[in-house]
Formats: sequence, structure tokens, C-alpha cells
Amino acid sequence: MKQIRMPWRLATAVLLVAGLGAVSAFGQTFAASGTTTLSVNVAAEASISIGTSTTTLSSTPGLFADYTGTTNFTYKIRTTLSGGTGTVNVQITSDFACAGGPCVASPPSAGDALTYNCTVASPGTACSGPVTALTTGTTSVATFGADARSAKAGNSGSVAWTLTNDPAYKTGPYSATATFTISAT
Amino acid sequence: MFLGCVTGALGNSVTGSQTLSANIGANAKLSVLQSTVTLVHTGATFASFTGAVTVQYKVRTTPSGSSTLVVQAVSDFSPANGPSITNSDLTYTCSGATVGSACSGSQTVRTTSTTNVVTVGAGACTGSGCAGSDPNSVSISLILADSPTFKTGNYSTNLTFSISAL
Repeated sequence: MKQIRMPWRLATAVLLVAGLGAVSAFGQTFAASGTTTLSVNVAAEASISIGTSTTTLSSTPGLFADYTGTTNFTYKIRTTLSGGTGTVNVQITSDFACAGGPCVASPPSAGDALTYNCTVASPGTACSGPVTALTTGTTSVATFGADARSAKAGNSGSVAWTLTNDPAYKTGPYSATATFTISAT
Repeated sequence: MFLGCVTGALGNSVTGSQTLSANIGANAKLSVLQSTVTLVHTGATFASFTGAVTVQYKVRTTPSGSSTLVVQAVSDFSPANGPSITNSDLTYTCSGATVGSACSGSQTVRTTSTTNVVTVGAGACTGSGCAGSDPNSVSISLILADSPTFKTGNYSTNLTFSISAL
């Protein structure tokens, strides 16, 4: 008799556990509550938005005063807590027509140049101007140290351009493209 | 004498009846499939961190009852100076509830109170003969804002999902 009743007791025990519904067939636990841990790695990153899509360089007529204009931008940046750095650079990626007009790569006269001065809100450090813009490489607009963090909506900056007004330039409209790049480590 | 007793025992039968009754009340349980969810960047710089968690649940509500599945952050992200639940940086949306109604729109996770994930109406059940799957499930998409103001580093928090039924 004992040999017959033992398996029955075992079967009963299994049914009771299953009936509680606490553990699924896959060993999954069901309870009134459960927890999950959220983790996130916040790394260095940066972005820039140019607020002035077209910057018009203008001069006081007739005086051969240099052409000037200002490009505004907003930057967001987060650099690494220890040892991090950041930069905003600019490069003339498309030069003026050059033929008879202003030219960054090969100015028609000695002393002709497209230069700029920088204004950057903290935590950035503005360039020490005037800086001569290049087509062959980037030049600095701003730098950032470790643990630099802008506001959530970003911080402001601007580049004030100056283009030599050389009498040798033929009259007419000219345009160039300046490309801003921001990076963070 | 001995044989007579044996014969008497074999020839005797007794029948009886017993009434079994059970009060089946409302009940609900859940299981969070992911013990850890890593929130990762998608898309552009300073785009939000995202992740997903699936909660399975079994529910039984009375003919006039209901059930709610809710979530609450145990505490804010740790360490400090990173994302903050207090600052409403962590939100979520719900989808695919196999029974009941998933939360509508974007919800903000709080440390001070629970927020809705699923609401189940009266007379619901899970299992054979019930609507939906067994177990039921709901998907939660987590969205964590990425602000430049956060210091770099690793941050974590715990979310607790709870379910109750009437």
C-alpha cells in the first residue's frame, strides 16, 4: 500500500504548488510587484546650431571700409569629467569666386583676408582674435575644458567676420561657405 | 472468525458526500521580464536615451471590480548630477496590453507616486476561457532626456511595477 500511495502524495504536492500560480512553467516568478534596474551611460557629446544661415557682409558705401557681419550660433556640449576637452572650429569650405573678387585661398592683394573675432558664452573660451579663416584647414572659435556642460537649451556664441575691402575687387555679389564643427571628448 | 471478518469487510461499502465550496476572489500578479534595462542613445546628438521593458501579468477581477498595473521609481538616479526623475527626465509610453487598456500618451515616472501602466476592467481573467493571452503582457517604452547639464558617467535607478485587483 505504501508503494502505491507515495506517488499520489508526490503528485498532490506538485498540483498544490502549481495551483498557487506563483511560478510559471518556465520558472518565471509572478508576484504583486516586480523591479527592474535602469542604467545609462552618459558620455561626452556636442552639437551646434547655426542661427544665421546667411551672413551678409556689408560696408559703409564709398569709404573702402572693410565688410563686416556676424554669424550667431548655439552650442550644446558635455565633456568628460576628467581629462575631457571640446572645440568649435570653422573652415571656409567653399571660397569666394576669387576671379576678380575676394578670395580666401589666394587673396588678390597682400594683406587681404577674411578674419574673425569670437564671442562664446561660458563654459567656452573664445578664440583670441582676429583669426584668419582658411580653406585649407580649420581654425579655432572656442575651446572647452574637462566637465564643461552647457545649458539644456544650449549656450550662445558668435563670430564677427571682417573681409578686406580691396579696391581691386570687381563689383558684384560674392559668397563663400563657412562650416562650423564642434567636438567633445 | 478471521475469515468471516475478511469477508465482511470486502462485502461492505460506504458512500458519502461532501460539499466543496471555494470563494474565488480578485487576484493579480506580475513578472518583469528584464531585470536590467540599459538605456541607449538613438539618433541625433543629445537625443533621448531609450529602452524597453515587458511586464507580464495575470489578473482576475470581480464582476464589478478592476485592476491597475502601475510603476514608480524607488529612488532618483544615482549618483547625483546626472538624469533626474525629480526633474521629469524619465517618461514612458505603453503599448500592446493583451488585456485591459494600456496607458495613453506619455507618462512621467515619479518617485513620490505611482503612475498608470495598464487598467483592467470588471470580470476579467487570465487563462483558459479568458480573453487575451496567458500570461498577459504589456510593453513599456522608456525615454530618458539627455541634457548637456548631466555630468558624464554611469547612472542607475530602480523601477517597481505593482498590480492590484478588486
